[in-house]
Amino acid sequence: MILAIIHDAFKNLSANLLRSGLTMLGVIIGVASVIAMIAIVEGGQVWLVSSIERLGTNLLFVWKKRLTVEERRMFAGRNIKLKYEDALAIRQHFPNLTIAPKVGFDGQLKIGDRDFSGHISGTSPEYSEIRNFFPSAGRFVTTEDLRGWRRSVVLGKTVAEVLFGTESPIGKEVKIFGGVKKMKTKDITKVEKQEQEIVEEYRFVVIGVMEPKGEIYGQNRDEMIFIPVTTALRFFKGNDKIDSMVIHVPDRNSMEKVTQKLHQFLVQRHDGVDDIRIRNQGDFLGAVEQTLWTFRIVLGGIALVALLVGGIGIMNIMLVTVTERTREIGLRKAIGARRNDILLQFLIESTTISVIGGVLGIILGIVTAYGFGNLVAQAMPGGGDWGAVVEPTAILIAFTFAVGVGILFGLFPAMKAAKLDPAEALRYQ
Amino acid sequence: MLIHLHNISKIYKAGDVEVPALINLTMKVEHGEFVAIIGQSGSGKTTLLDILGCLSHPTSGEYWLDGENVHELPDAQITTIRNKKIGFIFQTFHLLPRKTALENVQLPLMYARVPHATQHDRASELLTMVGLTDRLYHYSNQLSGGQQQRVAIARALANRPALLLADEPTGNLDSKSGNDILNVFDQLHQQGQTIIMITHDPLIAKRAERCITLSDGKIVSNQMTHPSSKILV
Repeated sequence: MILAIIHDAFKNLSANLLRSGLTMLGVIIGVASVIAMIAIVEGGQVWLVSSIERLGTNLLFVWKKRLTVEERRMFAGRNIKLKYEDALAIRQHFPNLTIAPKVGFDGQLKIGDRDFSGHISGTSPEYSEIRNFFPSAGRFVTTEDLRGWRRSVVLGKTVAEVLFGTESPIGKEVKIFGGVKKMKTKDITKVEKQEQEIVEEYRFVVIGVMEPKGEIYGQNRDEMIFIPVTTALRFFKGNDKIDSMVIHVPDRNSMEKVTQKLHQFLVQRHDGVDDIRIRNQGDFLGAVEQTLWTFRIVLGGIALVALLVGGIGIMNIMLVTVTERTREIGLRKAIGARRNDILLQFLIESTTISVIGGVLGIILGIVTAYGFGNLVAQAMPGGGDWGAVVEPTAILIAFTFAVGVGILFGLFPAMKAAKLDPAEALRYQ
Repeated sequence: MLIHLHNISKIYKAGDVEVPALINLTMKVEHGEFVAIIGQSGSGKTTLLDILGCLSHPTSGEYWLDGENVHELPDAQITTIRNKKIGFIFQTFHLLPRKTALENVQLPLMYARVPHATQHDRASELLTMVGLTDRLYHYSNQLSGGQQQRVAIARALANRPALLLADEPTGNLDSKSGNDILNVFDQLHQQGQTIIMITHDPLIAKRAERCITLSDGKIVSNQMTHPSSKILV
């Protein structure tokens, strides 16, 4: 019985090939857009996660917390603020962690009449490895650089190009202006603290140029400038306060535990004042994830609207079909078709449209998604890994929706058909 | 008694105006009878056919078919009665396009939930009986009018109905094919099939045993036709 009805449905659909095809097109476009949208967002997620992980994995970021005026007053005299010593102490106390302290300031690099203004980071040799960012020529800052407060500088690719063009900068000398050293001078007569700002200027030797890395998560890695952290503190800062630390944890599963221990350790060193903040790389991924969910919902919503429009197309054509076949319905009822038989017949017909449309839509969606993936890979610098990811669940969801749409929008016309009065339907002109 | 219509009235409503199509009509048909119902257009014969065929409900009155008061039954059961006890033959044949002769005849069997193999056997047997052995797999648009009507007869007989209900069965046919169809009716009648045939043509009505004449929703005459008065049409 069911087989015979499905057979009939195919016959009726193929008798009106153009009409069935156009109706199907609505479903095809709907399903294809659901699949393509989901695949592209999934691909985007894979790309974003990998691009974040390209900055190194299993990382913890330690910052000083900004204290309120009141807190500062309350904790006056206590050993607060993040210091270079803290980094050294952690290194000693947690030998299995790799630590890179960081202190930054805005400065200007000059050679002859060329100059480059940017952010200069003082850090340690570990930074390069932890952040998965290596020099393509020369070397990164070394332990010797740190120990001797050497005036060595490593340039980002763009910086090197701006200052030296095509010439190799290794071994060349650049001047660095910048940094604000706060000099505390005591005026004996007035017993008042005075602060004086002095802009420092030093000659540095270029020891390395970093590999090109492009812009990642809003920061252009090619415009970075590195000097030894000790040099930065001694010549440009005049104190030993650092901005942050990046810490690599060898075991991904112990991140939480290490975070807690580090926190405890640092608070203890800061005379019990909790003035530090430790964030996990996973927190960033969480933020990205959230953004992607927004995308998923918006794009998925648009795609579902497309599918809905396809469904309305089905309903429209099924209503036409029911009207056209009123006499057939009358005859079928006269010779013994029950309401459910007629209902089933038209439901199967609309579902057949949506199932075939769904299958074709899945194929089109996958092709579109991969096509888009390739397009992005070519158009976007660093977007090479943005491939579409077609997940089976997405296919299942889209297909289920398509079939659901076929049934839902076929239901009204089918019910209309089933309810027809046989005597009237038979003589319908 | 196969059919007993008792005080049947049917009133159509067109806006506020009530149009009576049948007025207190009473009639009986015995098993095995061949009855013609004749009347001008507007006499109520189509309405009577609808009621006899359980296609519509009378406004009042009772319809007993094979011992059952039909219009008291739920819809689903009335459908089963149409399927099992009544065979319809229409002026315009009402064959389904895009279906072969065989498939058209199988249709009532399918709705009776007869197994597929049995459907096929029964349908080909019926088509052989009406002389279409070599047309089983022809589509309805590949058949002549007379052949189409014979397919329709085979379809009407599929579930061995108690009543064969024909509405102007020769109306769309030339006189030769029409006569062939009437010969098939004669044959069926001789085998004991109850037939009610609706027509406007008195000559065709004379092929039946009994002729009921309708006018303005009432029976105006009900008489046996003399066998000797049969005329070839």
